[in-house]
Amino acid sequence: MQLDGDIITIDLSMSLEDILNFEDFVRPRLEYIQRIEVEHGSVLKSSALLALLWSLKQSKQELNIPFLEQEKAIFSQSGTLHWIYVN
Amino acid sequence: MTKQEQVKSIFIEEAGEIIEKLDVNILCFEENSTDFNLLNEIFRGVHTLKGNANAFGFTRLGEFVHHFEDVLDYYRNSKEQIEDEHLDLIVNSVDVIKEVMICELDALPQLPHDYSVCLHGIKVLIASKTGKSFEGVQEQNPPTDLSDLASEFGLSLSEKFENDVLQSIERMRQIREVGMVLYRVDLTFDSDSYKRGFDHLIFITLLAEKAKAIESFFNLEYVAPLHNFTSDENQIKKSSIVLLSLESIEAMNENFEFLFDHEYNVQVLPVEIVATSLATEPLEEKTTKESVAVAPKNTSPESSSVLTHSAKSTIRIDTYKLDELFDSVGELVIAQNFIAQNEKIRSIEDESIKRTIETLSKITKRIQDRVMSLRMVAIRDTFDKMKRVVRDTSKKTGKALHLTVLGEETEIDKTMIDSLSDPLIHIIRNAIDHGLEANQQERVAVGKNIEGNLTLRAYHKSGSIVISVSDDGRGINKDKVLQKAIERGVVTGDENLTDSQIFALIMQPGFSTADAISDLSGRGVGLDVVKTSIEKLRGKIEIESTPGKGTTFSMVLPLTLAIIDGMLVESGGEIYIIPTLSVVESFRPEKEIVHVLKEKGQFVSLRGQHLPIIRLSDIFNLPAKKTEPWEGILVCVETESGRIAIMVDELVGRQQVVIKPLGKALAKLKEISGGAILGSGDIALILNVDAIRTQEEVIHAGS
Repeated sequence: MQLDGDIITIDLSMSLEDILNFEDFVRPRLEYIQRIEVEHGSVLKSSALLALLWSLKQSKQELNIPFLEQEKAIFSQSGTLHWIYVN
Repeated sequence: MTKQEQVKSIFIEEAGEIIEKLDVNILCFEENSTDFNLLNEIFRGVHTLKGNANAFGFTRLGEFVHHFEDVLDYYRNSKEQIEDEHLDLIVNSVDVIKEVMICELDALPQLPHDYSVCLHGIKVLIASKTGKSFEGVQEQNPPTDLSDLASEFGLSLSEKFENDVLQSIERMRQIREVGMVLYRVDLTFDSDSYKRGFDHLIFITLLAEKAKAIESFFNLEYVAPLHNFTSDENQIKKSSIVLLSLESIEAMNENFEFLFDHEYNVQVLPVEIVATSLATEPLEEKTTKESVAVAPKNTSPESSSVLTHSAKSTIRIDTYKLDELFDSVGELVIAQNFIAQNEKIRSIEDESIKRTIETLSKITKRIQDRVMSLRMVAIRDTFDKMKRVVRDTSKKTGKALHLTVLGEETEIDKTMIDSLSDPLIHIIRNAIDHGLEANQQERVAVGKNIEGNLTLRAYHKSGSIVISVSDDGRGINKDKVLQKAIERGVVTGDENLTDSQIFALIMQPGFSTADAISDLSGRGVGLDVVKTSIEKLRGKIEIESTPGKGTTFSMVLPLTLAIIDGMLVESGGEIYIIPTLSVVESFRPEKEIVHVLKEKGQFVSLRGQHLPIIRLSDIFNLPAKKTEPWEGILVCVETESGRIAIMVDELVGRQQVVIKPLGKALAKLKEISGGAILGSGDIALILNVDAIRTQEEVIHAGS
């Protein structure tokens, strides 16, 4: 995970433990974070991260999460993933 | 290449095609901005680009395209007439998309210059059209827009989820192959599934290893905001996986054996469609039924067994495979020639063998023609790009003009297409910037229409392809060109140059007779580069011009780079090939027409022209069999600097040969452009006649 000002860049392939750590990191700092980016080429390994990103987005509408907003991703290991939500 | 890299490379290729198509379509739309079918097509391209760009992390492209899509969506729905300034913005946005794509591919940190300006313009435009404030538009993040297909169509999230899954099932049905089973797996994990070590992605990845195609859907409806959320507690209550696999239902169920029964449901789906509807029947039981509902058109479940992606009749082929096939066919041609020309085989007195060899020759020729045709593509796409160049140049110079395009279906070797764009762009810009009159008044004063005329034409001629750019402008001032050439020492003024030879002088490096240099052209560094580019393709440029009427630049190119039509000649016991494209004629001169000029060597008079005689034996240091021109044969060839007469011992024949590169060591020999294997198995070197001319000048200069 990298923090650059108000932008966090995360590795999609985080394990559940990493995701929990990430959640702990972001919770108290959500006010200051404007954008969450994902590392190029990283591959989603846990649906928990998807859920966390959506939870964060619900908690702060202005939070920009381009990966989440695309509503789908294609990974060679897992095919096409779609996520459906309503704001 | 990893699988992900493969998938990504496919995306990049397809994105490139979408953007190229956008480039063409946007120009057509600019000419007719009431064509909403075209606008829809543009919208679809942009929509696809948006989804795929974001999927592969090209977020800057994705963001721009997302907002651009909004604008297009507004106009295609409202059918409102697009104002001129907004039309310009839309056209410029396509340029920005092209440039951002390059930035993304090259991972450049900086964005194109117009990115921010265009993006701002688009956001302001959509804000003004939708009645929302600009700030409001900014806050209206994509998730709000994207997520509400459900609300837009009055569907609940569950219904939307189900609808998406059904669409996926339909997609899978289209690509199903014989023996494959279409599965739907519904996962309804308990909240403690993560703590038990079960994650949706684990199962999806496991299934993906055994699937031909797989799509997964997560319903995030019950994921709570942070105050009621913790990552190690599963809140994704429902997810569905659609896949095609060869696995049996038993094997499929075994993947989930460690889950509770209520947490998963594997279904085999029928392969034929009965009816589709937006809301589906709930899937309740774990069954192994494989009932096939017969759709009206099909009589058998296997009737859809052939894998087809769509109704298109094209197939994507790696160009590397095509090149390999081409090389193999070339070898086949050589081997067939060997058989046909082999003396021992020819001496066999057996009619059936002779007929078989003839048949082999015909079939080989047919295969060669067919394989060559695989490499041929219509020049339409290149010409479409040029329409954009004409439009932009016309705007930049402020010159109104009418473009006529002829021969778009003319085919050319695909490997040459990429190399053609830059020279063609420069010639077109040159024609508009310098060829056409400076302004409308100048045109009217000489009785021409206000609008200049530019004609882009492609056609086949004598085994070559000709691409010409004609303008109806001022024409080239021949005297000015000659004077400039004399000043620069390019010519002495004593040569008896033809008009075309004088015009060709403008392609010398640094040669410009332009009174003013525009940023488009006139620096004199363009046409020489164009000439070099065309010559690298074994082509040439011919210029015709009439003062006051106009100029035509013609690029004459071989149909393919891989095969050459050559005249076989013998000198000093060695066989050489002279490209017939360069050959004017061959003859045995009379003694009386051969002259010697002091310090310049021998010349032959041919129809009023004095052609320098160049002995191949001198060039390559061979023992000459014939010492005097009237004893041998002179082959008159056209070079970039004029005509020369190459002296050889004998003419051997004419043949199409497959060009073989010489390798790095011999590639430095400028006089030789390649090699070929003859039917006899002998190797012949292919002459580069332009370098021979230069060599001769060096020899005479040194003597």
